[in-house]
Amino acid sequence: MTAAARAIGSGSRRLGAYLGLAVLVALVIGLVAIGVLPENRWAPFADARVWQFLGEGLWATAQMGVAALVASLILSVPLALARLGAPRPLRVVVVAWIELVRATPVLALLMGILLYLPRTGLNLPPIWAATLGLTIYTSAVLAEIVRAGIVSIPRGEVEAARSLGLSYAATMRLVILPQALARMTPAMVSQLITLVKDTSLASIIAVPELLGFARSTFTFYGNPVETLFVVACIFFVICYTLSRISRRLELSRPRDVTPLVLGEEDLQPVARP
Amino acid sequence: MFGEVILDNLDSFGQAYVTTVVLAVAAMALALAIGTVAASIRVWGSPIASGAAGFYVEFFRNTPLLVQLFFYATLFAPLNLGITSDPVIVAIIGLGIYTGAFVTEAIRSGILAVDPRQLEAARSLGLSQVQTLRLVVLPQAFRTVIPPLGNLSIALVKNTSIASAISAREILFVGLLVQSRTFSLEPFVAILAAYWSLTIPLSIAVSRLERRMAFSR
Repeated sequence: MTAAARAIGSGSRRLGAYLGLAVLVALVIGLVAIGVLPENRWAPFADARVWQFLGEGLWATAQMGVAALVASLILSVPLALARLGAPRPLRVVVVAWIELVRATPVLALLMGILLYLPRTGLNLPPIWAATLGLTIYTSAVLAEIVRAGIVSIPRGEVEAARSLGLSYAATMRLVILPQALARMTPAMVSQLITLVKDTSLASIIAVPELLGFARSTFTFYGNPVETLFVVACIFFVICYTLSRISRRLELSRPRDVTPLVLGEEDLQPVARP
Repeated sequence: MFGEVILDNLDSFGQAYVTTVVLAVAAMALALAIGTVAASIRVWGSPIASGAAGFYVEFFRNTPLLVQLFFYATLFAPLNLGITSDPVIVAIIGLGIYTGAFVTEAIRSGILAVDPRQLEAARSLGLSQVQTLRLVVLPQAFRTVIPPLGNLSIALVKNTSIASAISAREILFVGLLVQSRTFSLEPFVAILAAYWSLTIPLSIAVSRLERRMAFSR
């Protein structure tokens, strides 16, 4: 390997896919400059007002994402505990709920809420209806992650804590959950990434989030391909940054704590060379 | 009577179900093809090729599928490149490229899980580099990769619903169409039942496989 190739190799490891994005953006700018790509379709992105408009959409995306994440985190722990230790009838209901929700496409959930929630007399604005749908889905997936985290803690720890006189609740709160949560962080972050991506589905039910605002933008300027490329880049920067943070958390963890990864689109458990 | 709306539209539901299965199967085939090639490049390619494959994985994994599908739908439309305006084809390509990014990572970790001594042994027995990959490394990699691929195919089946946004006539699209004509709850029940009939057996199969693999290792 030549020195240059090695330098590129180590540089690309440090910068990761940001380098690829920079190359891609530079390529687009270059192609526009020499006239291969139509300049008039990219020109709107030189206008600060377009970015301001997209920023407003991003704000709605962030609201949905944070609200759904917080609500899902709060809901997932009791769901996981119920699945592990509730009396039989309740446990059956919780298991069925978690499995059925996980087996349903998010978009179908969102459409179901949009169409049928008003019939129950509850009229939520679209953004909160979408957040509700995302929360139902994400809480079910997180419940499984939390459950796997709890199960991965050796049984002896529960027995030790219980025989030291801690109540079940105190054992969970002080001994099991803190350890389980530490192991679950990577899986949770990867579910957060899925959640951020899924907020874009809300544009279908007329929520004015990033993709929805982008669609207004490109209808106005007539540049759908270009605008969608920009939107993809915005989502990429957000989600990829999250995944880098999660990887860093994983690396800085002490060796004896095996990270447990079980996000729905997660692949790490196969091999840890 | 409950079920009337579904029975009246049984034909369209049946066709939609077939479309969903076609979307999932074709996209998975495409994703496997892309994933195998990209993972091989990722592991054995030159630094630049490997970096490019890595960028492909990260970019498509970290971008919403809906944005990607809209992108291809407009890019391939007659007014732009003029490749196709058939939403099913666009959705297969979009789903395939998206899922391919995840498949790449799965296969890559499968390849890395193969003991490097196997590679050395194969090479010293006189197998060429390509033969080593084809006959020794990839078959073993695929074995460890089957459970994660199963999980990905469940996610893929669910993701086919997003093709409804570009008007592919799959389950969700047709179900919502019937719903808008009848205002009944039944189409939605049919939508859920249709997806569950695909995802639940798949997830049972995957968890069985996972249990069996856990024993064999």
